[in-house]
Order: sequence, then C-alpha cells, then structure tokens
Amino acid sequence: MGKHLGFYINSSICTGCKACQVACKDKNDLPVGMLWRRVVQYGGGAWQPHPTIKHLATPNNIFVYSFSMSCNHCENPACVNVCPTGAMTKRADGIVVINQDQCVGCRYCEWACPYGAPQFDEAKGVMTKCNFCEDLLAQGQNPVCVDACVMRAIEFGDLAALRGKYGMVNAIEPLPPSNLTNPAIVLTPHRHTEFSGKGTGKILTLEQEV
Amino acid sequence: MNVREWALITFTILAQMSVGSFIVLGIVHYFVVRKSGEKQADELSDRALLAIGPVLALGMAASLLHLGNPINAYKAVTNLGTSWLSREIFFGVLFAVAGAVFAVMQWKKIATFTVRNVVALVAAVIGVALVYSMAQVYMMPTRPAWNLVTTPLSFYVTTLLLGVLAMGAAFVANYWYVQSKNPGCASEQCVLLRDSLRWIAVASIVLLGFQFVIQPLSVALMAAGEASASAEILANEFGVLFALRLVLVFLGAGVLGIFVYREAQNAGREKMLAIDAYAAFALVLVGEIVGRFLFYATTMKIGLQ
Repeated sequence: MGKHLGFYINSSICTGCKACQVACKDKNDLPVGMLWRRVVQYGGGAWQPHPTIKHLATPNNIFVYSFSMSCNHCENPACVNVCPTGAMTKRADGIVVINQDQCVGCRYCEWACPYGAPQFDEAKGVMTKCNFCEDLLAQGQNPVCVDACVMRAIEFGDLAALRGKYGMVNAIEPLPPSNLTNPAIVLTPHRHTEFSGKGTGKILTLEQEV
Repeated sequence: MNVREWALITFTILAQMSVGSFIVLGIVHYFVVRKSGEKQADELSDRALLAIGPVLALGMAASLLHLGNPINAYKAVTNLGTSWLSREIFFGVLFAVAGAVFAVMQWKKIATFTVRNVVALVAAVIGVALVYSMAQVYMMPTRPAWNLVTTPLSFYVTTLLLGVLAMGAAFVANYWYVQSKNPGCASEQCVLLRDSLRWIAVASIVLLGFQFVIQPLSVALMAAGEASASAEILANEFGVLFALRLVLVFLGAGVLGIFVYREAQNAGREKMLAIDAYAAFALVLVGEIVGRFLFYATTMKIGLQ
C-alpha cells in the first residue's frame, strides 16, 4: 500500500485556543455554523461535599482536555461507502474528497460519519468537508491548521510514519471506537484522557462558538 | 424534525404501502382465480390495482424533497457497489417500472395469464428487495437505535399491514362500485369481495400480533445496547406518542379488524363494513406514520455530531 496521509494531534499540549479552527474557517471561507476543523473540549468530575465540614466542597476527579478534530480521512471511510452518487471518493494518497458537482445533498454521509466531518451547505444544497488543504499540499505547503497551531500540536504526514513516531492511539472520548472506520489519525493523549468506551465526562465545547 | 425528515417519513411509508398493496393484491388474486376463475379475479383486482401506482409515485416525489440538490437525483443510483441508498433508489425505480408494466399488461390483457403472473411475481420480488434495501439504509453502526434486527422486521410488518388495510379500503370502494351497477349486489363478485375482506381482516389481526412483538422487542434491544439513550427518549419524551401509535394500530388492525370480519360475513351490512374498513386503514396509517416519526425522532448518533 502506498502513502496514506494522516493528521497527528497532540492533546497533551493542546490548550484549546482554537487557532486551528479559526484558520481553517478563514482559509476555506466557511459560513456560520460550519467548521471543518473543530476543537473539542471534553471534561468530567464533580465537586464533592466534605463528609464532616458543612458548606465545604472539594473537587473530585475534575478534568478537562482539548483536542482538534477534522475529517480523519479514514482508511475505511463510512462516508465513501454510503454515498449514493459516488461524489465522495478516497484519493490514492488517502485524502477523502467530495465532488460537489456529483453530490445530491442527501446527507447520508453525515449520518454515517462518526466524526461529524461531512457538513451540509444549506446555500448550495451539497455536502462539504475538510480536504486536507489539497491546494496548499499541491504547492508544497502545510495544511493551514498545522501552521496556525501556536503549540505545534498538529502535524501531518504519512500515517505509517506518524504511527511509528507517536504510537497507535486514535480513539479517546468522545470519539467512537476506531474499528468503525480506522481513522487516519494519531493522538498523544492528555494525562487525564479517558479512552473511547470509558467516558464519564461530556463534551464541553460551546455551540455558540461556530 | 424538519421538512427533510417528513419527506423521508412520507417516502418510506408510501413506498412500503405500495409494495404491501401489490403483494396482498397478488395473493388475493391468486386465490380468487383458483376459486372462481380468471374473469372474476380480474374484475376484483383490476380496479384495486389502480390505487397502487399513484401511491408509489407520490412517495417517490416526496423523496426528492429530502435532497439538497435534487437536480443530481439521477446520479444517486451510481454507487450500487457499496451504498444501500443507491440500491434503495435502484429497486424503487425498478419496482415502479415492473409494476407499471404489469398494470398495463393486466388492464389491456396483453399476453397470457401465466406470463402476466410471472411479471407480477417478479415485481413483487423486486418490492421485497426494495423494502430490504430501505431497512439496510438505516443499519449503520453510528446509529445504534437503527442498527437492530427490528428495523427490517418492522419495515416488513408495516409494509404488509398497510398493504392489507389499503387493499381492504380498495375492496370496499370496489364493492360500492359493483353494487351501484348491480343493486342488491347478489352477484358472485360481491360474495368474492366480502370473502376477500374477511381474509383481509384475519391478516390484519395476525399482523397486529407481529407488530406487538416487534415494537417492544425494538425498545428492549435499544435499552440493552448502545442505544439506551434512544430508549430513554422514546419512553420519556415521546412516551405518549409511542403509546398513541400502539393504540391506533390496535384499534385499527385489531378491534376494527374483528368488526370487518363479522360485517363481511353476510350481505346487508355494507355501510358499516365500509366505514369500518376505511377507519381501520386510516387509524393504522396514522399509527404507522407516528411510528416512523418516532423512528427518526429518537435516533442518536455515536461519536461527534
């Protein structure tokens, strides 16, 4: 198998600043309500009343971590398989792209994708999604999210090489188990990370940020 | 819920009703031929056949409202290799074509009786494949409340239940037509129609039994698996609607089914027979629409939205 591009996200140093999200939105001129790259904040725990002292509460396992998520250009993409028109395709380099001239706007890919990657453009009536900044790649540049990250928490490259360098973690809460689609992503988990299926927290990202 | 999902509710309900009607009419036709011959059977079913095409056409028109870019709709059958949605559309179009070919052959009496039967059988098999594809569209691991064996089972029960009761309504309408031509309705045709309606009533009661097994089973499977959140929404937020759905189907297919059976036994109670058969169809149709609404309204997605 040839080269398969993928993203690496270092959740252990991600501050949740959303520079990648904003850079992506700006570069791709995305309308309100649409984010091809999103910073997800996931947290849990609670304040616990002190057993003896009245009105005193102590934090109990309170945690929060952030990571950045776009289309994962999965090795077995659910969106490509279900698309009835064949508008969604996987390129030889692993990038999953959508041909909007073919798209019928049925939103079936949106149902199938467990990462919320394909998003519907109400104005055009077709689906849109992260294209790995294929235009920038063609010019030898980095995807805009990679360069925008102030923490250098996003990298991209050959998936096998990224896995060799950073390991195999690709399913942390609130992401689904990776066996659904084999996402082309490698994550360095935050020290408080809960792995997929073991979640006790919830998504804390604010909806009004889009 | 938005317009798009109502388009899907309309499409799936109407397409399933037309498949069910076609199959039920075929079965009735087969038995009437054996009992009273081709001529009587044709007279009984040719007019009922009239209702099926428009129902399917209406459903398919509604499905277009679900699309963001309907101009590309014709491209939606190009990914038959992996997409169940492609297969659903393919079988939908194929069923419409096969059904239309059969209807024209039947009305114009083209070809022999046996050839027409083969065409009808082929159309019915395509209809079964259509309903199977419709169910498979919803069987995705990311939608655990849909990804259950009860999805195809309930689609098939809905198909047959709506088919049976729609044909019941069609037979009653046909009965009035025959009666208007032949006052008193002493002809063999009227006896056959009443017999058919009795079997329709029996079938609707049996199918009600299936529905009352599958619906609780689907909730149990949801609650036991990844879709427990869906089961919770169904029980709490939509509990009243879920109960209403079961009550409507019970009253229509069960209680009115018994009335239809009794009233169809003898001539002279045609007025009540008609009211009950129409009401049974209407109640079950509304019940199934509510059921399909709940199917879409209670689904949950795993992973990121």
